[in-house]
Amino acid sequence: MTARADTVGIVGAGQFGTALGSVLARAGRRVVLFSRDAAVVGAIQETRSSPRLLGAPLGPALEATADLRRLAAECRFLVLAVTSTDVVARARELGDVLDGSHIVVHAIGGLVVPSGGPGESARGQRVSEVMAQGLPTLKLGVIAGPALPADLCENHYSSMVVASAFDEVVHEGRRLLNAPPGLRVYSSKDLIGVELASALAGAYTVALGLCDGLGMSAGPRAVLVTRAVAEASRFGVAAGAEARTFAGLAGLGNLLVRASGDRSADYLLGRRLADGAAADAARTEGARAAMTALELAKALRVRMPVLQGVAAVLAGKVDPRDAVQMVGDTVALEE
Amino acid sequence: MASDRPIREAENRLEKFNADRERLLSEVERRVVARRVAEARAGGDASLEYVLNDVVYCEIKRLESSGGKNGATDRWRDLSRRLLGMTEDDKREELRGLVRHYGKDVVGNFDPRVYRFATGIGPSLLGFLFSPTSSIKEGLSSLRNLDAHIHADGAIDAARACAERGTIVVTPTHSSNMDSPAIGLGLLRAGLPPTTYGAGKNLFSNPFISFFMRNLGAYRVDRRLKFELYKDVLKEYSTVLLEHGYHSLFFPGGTRCRSNIVERNLKLGLLGTTVTAYKNNVREGAPNKRVYIVPATINYRLVLEAETLIDDYLAETGKSRYIITDDEFSRLGRILEFFRKILVHEGSVVVRFGQPLDPFGNDVTDEGESVDRAGRTVDPASFVRGANGEVTDDDQRDAEYTRALGRRLATAYPRLTVFHSTNLVARALFDAIAQAAGTRDIYRLLRAPHGQLAIDEATAIDNLVRLRARLGAHPEWGSEHPNYLLQSAADKLADGMHGLSSYHTHPAVERTGKNLQVRDVKLLYYYQNRTAHIPAEASS
Repeated sequence: MTARADTVGIVGAGQFGTALGSVLARAGRRVVLFSRDAAVVGAIQETRSSPRLLGAPLGPALEATADLRRLAAECRFLVLAVTSTDVVARARELGDVLDGSHIVVHAIGGLVVPSGGPGESARGQRVSEVMAQGLPTLKLGVIAGPALPADLCENHYSSMVVASAFDEVVHEGRRLLNAPPGLRVYSSKDLIGVELASALAGAYTVALGLCDGLGMSAGPRAVLVTRAVAEASRFGVAAGAEARTFAGLAGLGNLLVRASGDRSADYLLGRRLADGAAADAARTEGARAAMTALELAKALRVRMPVLQGVAAVLAGKVDPRDAVQMVGDTVALEE
Repeated sequence: MASDRPIREAENRLEKFNADRERLLSEVERRVVARRVAEARAGGDASLEYVLNDVVYCEIKRLESSGGKNGATDRWRDLSRRLLGMTEDDKREELRGLVRHYGKDVVGNFDPRVYRFATGIGPSLLGFLFSPTSSIKEGLSSLRNLDAHIHADGAIDAARACAERGTIVVTPTHSSNMDSPAIGLGLLRAGLPPTTYGAGKNLFSNPFISFFMRNLGAYRVDRRLKFELYKDVLKEYSTVLLEHGYHSLFFPGGTRCRSNIVERNLKLGLLGTTVTAYKNNVREGAPNKRVYIVPATINYRLVLEAETLIDDYLAETGKSRYIITDDEFSRLGRILEFFRKILVHEGSVVVRFGQPLDPFGNDVTDEGESVDRAGRTVDPASFVRGANGEVTDDDQRDAEYTRALGRRLATAYPRLTVFHSTNLVARALFDAIAQAAGTRDIYRLLRAPHGQLAIDEATAIDNLVRLRARLGAHPEWGSEHPNYLLQSAADKLADGMHGLSSYHTHPAVERTGKNLQVRDVKLLYYYQNRTAHIPAEASS
């Protein structure tokens, strides 16, 4: 294997991208971290630390760059770690420098609503669908799971799953991203399932933040978690995914870790809503996913009472306490 | 759009096929044997003993189930007995012999004299072909101008540019055994070169048809041979043909579409050989020796075998009858009748070519360059290269590429569909009876009372007008026959009614006073199925 084959390129020097780079570099993997922000690149190169994730150890195996061409030339395997709102633009830029040999996996736990411009569908799409529109390569995948930036930086035991229709993508994902003990990578063929499970986990994290913010006890919380996984599985199967994926790392695993402690923006949003903060459906990745997934669920004719409740609160249509009552009643009727 | 470039401009590479044939066969033999011997080192199911046993088992099973002559299985039983005592060298030689045997069975032939004869007298040939001796005169007189009734249009210039620059694989929809001659004439009219193609061995049973197919580049595909070695030979033969620049034709739908629905679930089959062939070209240092896939639809005003096909589709046993040998295609009288009836109409068959694709499903420009979904030029060779530019082998990756290509083809077909009056009228009438019965379920409609199957003419015309308006607003659903865009709704109805009532054993629909009475719901369903991808009005 050559340096290029063994190098991981990361697009997006936000918290997750930087933390992933940190854990990989610590394991000896060569990493090229791309940021459009020259100040971030400069800080990393000069101080070996990032203003976006203070305290993350960035060893010498990690290099930062603002040059996409360099990234494409030095890395065949790339991780797209940007927000869902940036995917369309970043994929187009990236597409200008990639070719059919590149492998791109994304680490975005969300769904995308394209702008509806010429040639673009206005309905919600999975991230890999959007990537396919903008990138020349077909070798696309996703990496998702209960690995928070803080855990990755502190080398805690974290696990993620890489999924793709291409065995090569899964194989390379595991080979290049496996960095035990800080990160272990599992494999899956269920690209649709892992993408949807990860996106929905964010939406349900908002629901659990609401639940905890309202001071509900462990029993109702457990009901919420199990019903969320059940309806997400139904949704996934209707979309072409495997039901079991939703009980795995990207689904239940993701939900449990994001909804524990105060480390997830989605969870904190739920808590704030419970405290009476104004609704804002576009504030976090999970909130956006809730609204988009609900539209997709309608198109697929899948009833999702929990998601519906979260979306209603996020849209400011229902008071959080009423939503809890409504969801409880509907779930019992549905199942 | 129709080209004004002179026809037959693209080089007929099949002219040199016969001189190449032995070399092609030897190449197939060399590759298949080398691959199997290499794989055999893993033992188990890959061992030569297993491979040879698989052939023996399948051949004996096939011969016994077909009630072959006494002693038909002797050769295979003898091989089975000898296998146990064979050395690895013996097995390799046996394998080589089998590969050559099946290769010879598959390989085609191209006789330029037959091609010139066929294209020279063109359509009249078909009359000769499909006429029993006593009917030659009748056949020739009625079929003299058949090629005027084959209309070819679409992205012809792009296909021709690709044929000049690389190797094209034409991939049409498949609804009839008449597709082979129809697409052959379509290619001729479009100025595209003739192609080699795989044809079911059952189609070679008619000696006249067999003669022309055998001499115009067709190779034989025996669907009864299910073992892996035969599939290997077939795929390798297709791959070698493409690498050597022989334009080909595959029907990605596999067998004829029984329902007449525009094909969505493609079997892909030999389509995967386009990736392999191009990969081999890149490995040989010839990345610009491109392979292009040209989607096409063959659109009939009337389908020869409609009654048998829809019966088969609706029957519970439909799935098991993979090879139908007793349909209208096997009855020469019906074929003649079919031609007489379609000749009434100008452009009875429309072959529409789509914008070419590369083996990875990328669009191809008129200049033959691949472009990605965002419209950027992309190097197709990069799809088979690894981190350092080396060509890599990965069967799973290549199968995934082929699936992507299949999805692009399935998306292209509806847009390329051309609707005849028979399709549009059938849809308008089907909508009317479905509305009256409160269901679009064919099995319920088959049991609908006589009265529910009568449609007044005004309703039929209204439905037709709305259908045409919706069609005009949605080019992705396909389009009306270009020659009849200005036809009034009343004329369209009359024309479609004539088609639906004149050729088949029983009329699908008849006029009774001011009403149109559906007589054969199955046939009506068959013809309207071509529009099945157009959503019902309420849900569109």
